Amino acid sequence: MNPDVADAIPRLVEAGVLPPDEAPRLLRVARGELLSVHWELRALLYVGVLLITGGVGLLVKENLDRIGPVAIAAGIGLAAAAALGWVIRVAPPFSWREVPSSNLAFDYILLLGVLLAAADLAYVEVKFTPLGPHWSWHLLIVAAFTALAAFRFDSRVVFSLALSTFAAWRGVSAARFGTDLWWNALWSGAAEDAVRWNAIACGALFAGLGFALKRSGRKAHFEPVAATLGWLLILGALASGMGEQIFWWPWTLGLLLAGLGLAAGAFLVRRFPLFAFGVVAAYAALSRLVLDGTADTLGCFWFFITPILVIVGLILTQRRLKEPA
Amino acid sequence: MTPRMARADRNGTVRSAATSWRRAGAIDDRALAAIEKTYPDERQGVGPVLGALLFFFTLISIGGALGFFSVIGDAPKNDFFPVLLLLFGAGLVIATDFQVTRMLRARGGVEAATSLAGIGFLVGFAFWICWKGGWKEDHSFAAMFLATALLLAMAAWRWGYPLYAGAATAAFLWSFVAFPGARLVWIVLPLLVAPVLTRLSESPRLPPSHRDSCAFALGVALAGLYTAVHLGSLDSRLLEDWYHGKLLASPILRGLSIAATALVPATYLAVGLRSRRYVFLLLGLGTAVASLVTLRYYIHLAPLWVILTLSGAALVAVVLVLRRYLDSGPGKERNGYTAEPLFEEMGRRRMLEAGAAVVSLSPEARPVHEEPKFAGGGGSFGGGGASGEF
Repeated sequence: MNPDVADAIPRLVEAGVLPPDEAPRLLRVARGELLSVHWELRALLYVGVLLITGGVGLLVKENLDRIGPVAIAAGIGLAAAAALGWVIRVAPPFSWREVPSSNLAFDYILLLGVLLAAADLAYVEVKFTPLGPHWSWHLLIVAAFTALAAFRFDSRVVFSLALSTFAAWRGVSAARFGTDLWWNALWSGAAEDAVRWNAIACGALFAGLGFALKRSGRKAHFEPVAATLGWLLILGALASGMGEQIFWWPWTLGLLLAGLGLAAGAFLVRRFPLFAFGVVAAYAALSRLVLDGTADTLGCFWFFITPILVIVGLILTQRRLKEPA
Repeated sequence: MTPRMARADRNGTVRSAATSWRRAGAIDDRALAAIEKTYPDERQGVGPVLGALLFFFTLISIGGALGFFSVIGDAPKNDFFPVLLLLFGAGLVIATDFQVTRMLRARGGVEAATSLAGIGFLVGFAFWICWKGGWKEDHSFAAMFLATALLLAMAAWRWGYPLYAGAATAAFLWSFVAFPGARLVWIVLPLLVAPVLTRLSESPRLPPSHRDSCAFALGVALAGLYTAVHLGSLDSRLLEDWYHGKLLASPILRGLSIAATALVPATYLAVGLRSRRYVFLLLGLGTAVASLVTLRYYIHLAPLWVILTLSGAALVAVVLVLRRYLDSGPGKERNGYTAEPLFEEMGRRRMLEAGAAVVSLSPEARPVHEEPKFAGGGGSFGGGGASGEF
């Protein structure tokens, strides 16, 4: 209910600003006589999907011996097939462009089907170990399947799942096996750096993928997902190196350069969330570089004065953006 | 809130509604421009991203300044720190007031950070005074919560920050926890203030920020009431632990609590559904979920995986049936409810999307085909009601 808007609508109609045929519906909404529960229903659908997948996860964990592995694998597989079958039945034809969803529940049932299929595959892998010591590759299979589903059914939610599963594959491979295929090919350094380099490589791959999608005009609306996740991985990996005992400074320097580069690039193309990531990362790296080994007083003084400079810079940047091109 | 701010606030809400109408295609750019001209909003603000950055860096700067002067004055050794808290707190509150009432800053990030830090420092100083005065620790905490409630309530009234009104209500309720009878206060107080706050949250005499403040306070008060009557809070002595007080182990009291744990969510939902009041609907749903979880905790109905899977499936089914039911009504609505997206404020949508995105770390689902096509661009910069992305 919004009395100010309810008061304004008749005046706007009288002044000829609002079309008279739209006014009654607008007025009912403003008076609280008509309430949309569209977004609430979507949120509840999402919660429902999360509850089901959580329940299935517990089922696998708790009932392994009682029900038997084949029954569990078959049951989850059937549920996944049912969900994906419905999705295939109602899905609109494939297009490289953004396709409006055919049903309120479409994205959520798709997500449910994909998550159930992934859980089933993970269960089969744990129980029957078809991939043996290379079990982490099942994450790559899930990532590929999820990516395929994301492109076919035009779901950004599922696309983000595909990217994060791919990153998880690299992370698990590097953390578990330390020096693996990629790592040996790139570098023969300490194994603990493997995860970090893998994250950077994944981040670069995602950012590059986003760029390619946008450039080619094919699923260009997936680009923000890929770019955001990619840059988060790159900056996060570099930032994690700032805590190193000896070789912290190359990572910090890398973070500074990446942050500055990202902020500048994002500013040019008006991508403000990425601009914010870049500014925060560059500031954190610069503070780490400047304050290494300095006294508390200088540290406090730095954090007293430099944010003010950043704030002034940000406000000037905003004014610059407001100027006509 | 000054009359000038209140006027801008009222105009801001009309502009915000007009932006939603434009996004939904109900009006064109010319109509939007005409509305913005008729309802000017002279408040200065920035978009959410820049606002968050300014807020973040302002807080760092304030923290750095406090640390710097503490180190310079060797504060830990000579009780200089509380004086610093008072000086910083008062200074920041004055700075906030100047920014909000004179410079007409709104959603600018800086004034939000100075207000938060200023109130925090003054609350810290109040706690120090009580502690130095030889008060018992729990009484000092009670005084601190009371000071917090007062400061936040004044800030909500003066600067129009609804979130502070909710926090003030919570702090006020917590200030009773150090004394006997806190549970009774948590039950009686919300029952007394709920009708008043409900009316005020819809009163045309109040500016929108004050109405929102009342709605936030109402939500917190109703959540407090549910907490006080909840069986789990009774059994765990949640509100009695602070002062080590005794709670009568009465079966009647427990029986009443069991009944209330079931009835309060039903009442909230009934009131919400009947009156279409969003606060009651949201709280009704939230407390209903909490009561179902409580039921599962006390009574082992089935294994957890069965409960989760079945409740998830039931939820999906209920949503789909509800959607179908609403869609089948005349004009796709029934009893004043519709499953169609309307021209409502974007804040509610953003809140729900953000909640889903945080839960899943994923982007929101795409719109369905019957949705009105949003034609709005990235918005513009500046202006209190501006929707600029930066």
